[in-house]
Amino acid sequence: MQQPTEGHTVVRYDGELNGLHLLMLEMGSLVLDQVRTSLTALKNEDLVAARQVLIREHKVDDLEIKADDEIVSVIARRGPVARDLRIVMAFSKTITDLERVGDEAARIASIIEEMYETDRSHPSGQLMRDVHLMGALVTHMLEKALGIIDGLNADDAEEIAKGQVELDAEFRSSLRRLTTFVLEDARNVGHAIYITLIIKALERIGDHSRNLAEYVVYLMSGDDIRHQLRQLQPETGPDDTNDFDDRNEAF
Amino acid sequence: METIDESEVSEINDAGVTDPVKVGHTAMVDRDNRTTIGEILVDNPRMSCRDVNVYYGDNHAIHDVSLDIGRNEVIAMIGPSGCGKSTFLRCLNRMNDTIDICKVTGTITLDDEDINSKKIDVVPLRAQVSMVFQKPNPFPKSIYENVAFGPRIHGLANNKTELDEIVVTSLKKAGLWDEVKDRMDQPGTGLSGGQQQRLCIARTIAVGPEVILMDEPCSALDPIATAKIEDLIDELRQQYTICIVTHSMQQAARVSQRTAYFHLGDLIEVGDTNTIFTNPRHKLTEDYITGRFG
Amino acid sequence: MSNTASKSGNKARTIDIVYAGLRKRKAAERRFQLYGKLAIGLGLLFLSLLFGSIVANGYTAFVQTYMQIEVYIDPDRIDPEGKREVKELSRADYGGLVKATLRDMFPEVQSRREKRQLYRLVSTGASYQIREQVLQNPDLIGQKISLWVPADDEIDMLMKGHIDRKSAEEDRRVKDNQIAWVDRLLSEGRIEKRFNTIFFTAGDSRDPELAGIWGAASGSFFTLIVTLLLSFPIGVAAAVYLEEFAPRNKFTDLIEVNINNLAAVPSIVFGLLGLAVFINFFGMPRSAPIVGGLVLTLMTLPTIIIASRAALKSVPPSIREAALGIGASPMQTVIYHVLPLAMPGMLTGTIIGMAQALGESAPLLMIGMVAFIVDIPQGAFDPSTVLPVQIYLWADSPERAFVERTSAAIMVLLGFLITMNALAVMLRKRFERRW
Repeated sequence: MQQPTEGHTVVRYDGELNGLHLLMLEMGSLVLDQVRTSLTALKNEDLVAARQVLIREHKVDDLEIKADDEIVSVIARRGPVARDLRIVMAFSKTITDLERVGDEAARIASIIEEMYETDRSHPSGQLMRDVHLMGALVTHMLEKALGIIDGLNADDAEEIAKGQVELDAEFRSSLRRLTTFVLEDARNVGHAIYITLIIKALERIGDHSRNLAEYVVYLMSGDDIRHQLRQLQPETGPDDTNDFDDRNEAF
Repeated sequence: METIDESEVSEINDAGVTDPVKVGHTAMVDRDNRTTIGEILVDNPRMSCRDVNVYYGDNHAIHDVSLDIGRNEVIAMIGPSGCGKSTFLRCLNRMNDTIDICKVTGTITLDDEDINSKKIDVVPLRAQVSMVFQKPNPFPKSIYENVAFGPRIHGLANNKTELDEIVVTSLKKAGLWDEVKDRMDQPGTGLSGGQQQRLCIARTIAVGPEVILMDEPCSALDPIATAKIEDLIDELRQQYTICIVTHSMQQAARVSQRTAYFHLGDLIEVGDTNTIFTNPRHKLTEDYITGRFG
Repeated sequence: MSNTASKSGNKARTIDIVYAGLRKRKAAERRFQLYGKLAIGLGLLFLSLLFGSIVANGYTAFVQTYMQIEVYIDPDRIDPEGKREVKELSRADYGGLVKATLRDMFPEVQSRREKRQLYRLVSTGASYQIREQVLQNPDLIGQKISLWVPADDEIDMLMKGHIDRKSAEEDRRVKDNQIAWVDRLLSEGRIEKRFNTIFFTAGDSRDPELAGIWGAASGSFFTLIVTLLLSFPIGVAAAVYLEEFAPRNKFTDLIEVNINNLAAVPSIVFGLLGLAVFINFFGMPRSAPIVGGLVLTLMTLPTIIIASRAALKSVPPSIREAALGIGASPMQTVIYHVLPLAMPGMLTGTIIGMAQALGESAPLLMIGMVAFIVDIPQGAFDPSTVLPVQIYLWADSPERAFVERTSAAIMVLLGFLITMNALAVMLRKRFERRW
């Protein structure tokens, strides 16, 4: 783990910022676990695991509140500037994004509950294939993003940007395929809706992962590269243009 | 705001567009690099300094400082103690002349006139570029006399009525009129610290300067008085150019549009205050403003 | 405390160690204060001894024995031709009148020796007093007037108890019959001690009963005026230049060292300088306050310059910066702001310098101000003496009556010095640091 800061004349200040970093990493690993668990639950049709995700969601919320408190206190007492200010700002945003990743994981878990609890037929493996593919991709992106946060090394941010492009393409083709399935057999409609919700959630997690990487780039260099990264993406639909600020989270 | 270092930023932008993720660490300038980072030039400057060096005897106090000071801007000079910021400020109205062993080289122009030339008379110069000091130092005379002294010695008023008017206007501009209008004949030293400092600012305004130099004007004041002075500085910016030396980085961030960071006699970094305080380019600047030394 | 110490084990607490040493510390403190008090007490003792002896010796000089005589202004003696001319009148034999009066008062005195002793009862000043009256009012001629005239200094001493009546007659300067006459006059109420106005109004004299300090005081006054008029402007100007304008270099350092040296030069050297330069070279009058003032100026200048520079230094630089910062020229800065603030200090220094000058005698001896001068000087060019020199002269005189006059003159001089120093303190208190 890379210490975000050292060498302040006020040593406690270093301690506070580094503590914040640790808290963020703790939250990150918890959220990553949530995503993994919910994806595993989806694969194994494991309702117990899905419920566990839902129960642990509170822990994520608690961590968010705790981190927010500490950030407010650092701002109020230390008046951070320059890199310190960027650290605090980046951490604050990171925490928000992580919490939302946690939310998406919980959303997937609750969809799993709904999907597999009823006596209706379960979706076919063919339908689920895209979901698992995207899940793997998203998990990898999230792991990578957390690695960047841990190491405070923005060099790998490129990979995440690429993953985001891939994920986006995947999302689009999945939607197309789902449409085909629904056209082929109208009974697939119910499953298709659930699956759409799940892949949208996965797409969101990918977005958040990209944001996390961007915050680290901002923290390290002071450059806000959010818009520049967007330029790398292929043509996007209108609803994607502003989704990094999560306004369309509700879908 | 217009003074953001275009070349610097565009370079980063170019890099960002082609290869955004490589931006990371290349931006920070190493500690050992002592060339000035940031844009020292402004459009249509009020004062501009080129290659200013100051020596106190054998001690080389300021090394090759070049800096423009724009019109109607507040430029803050920050840096650790002994970094030369006050010395540099005192070059701008030749206050260093009062120190025998002090030698200033380089050109300093005020509206295209070289004020560092020996031919320049410092008396009219100091009427144009006036100074407010660290400790409030009203003359031990009445409030009226404090403000009237400058106009009187420069012959700015032809009669008592005109002088009265200058005094009242100056006190109003300094935001002190309402507090002292009933006791103009009482000693200026009887005012509170913040009022004294505003009286000193009024005294400075009364000579009709173009540039006001302030050497840590709030370091002896409490937070409320400081806030009043800072508010006043913001008001005065409409009419004057203000150079302020301050030990308080928060103050520099609050009042100034541009900030210059000095370190051991070098001008390390100049730039838009927002940039300096969110994303300084030089490691020394960052270390100083984040409280890592000094 | 000892309880706590035992409880806390073998390691004593700091507070116990502190308490243990406290008694010793307090004793040391008291001792230290005692030394200071002793030093001050000793100083006060010597001071009171000095003042006590001066006052004890001198207070009697403020009264003088006067005798009442009835003088018949005999026209035959004064103005035998009856012309009433001032010239004639002032040359007339008033001493004879006094002697005749004394003979009338004591008709039993017959022998020449006794008569001489009788005449010595009254001061020679008596005849001057009668002449004065007659010249003022010639109508008195032919009348009998009653006058209080000063008694001779020996009689004065007798009256003041400085002559022991019991000692052998040949050991006394006042003889038995003189004592008898004085006792008779005393019983008649014709001899008494009155306030000694002569002492404060007259110039010097060989006769103690006619000697006064007014001549010396006037001389001192003129000398000090000359000193003040010269040394204050010169001193202040020098101090202002050196402190505010002069560049700091070896030359000004040299000047500073020399000024400090001058302050320590023995004053007699200044007297020699004055003698050589002002009197011998420029040919200025001897014994004149103008020369005394010049010499004392030389002596006082270093004091004033040093005090003025200190006063200028104590003006905070922020005041100068404030004025310079808004474009005042260095001269305006000094005139408007620095000088007014430094003035109390400068005045204090000047007064102290003046007080020194007032008490100075050695350099004035060299320029002839030690001469015996009866006339009261009317200006700075008249020959005169000064108070300290007068004290020196009287202290040298053999007459017993000059002892008390010396002390009285010292008291007057001390009075002036105390007044001047009090003024300096008051000025300082009044105008001290109003910034």
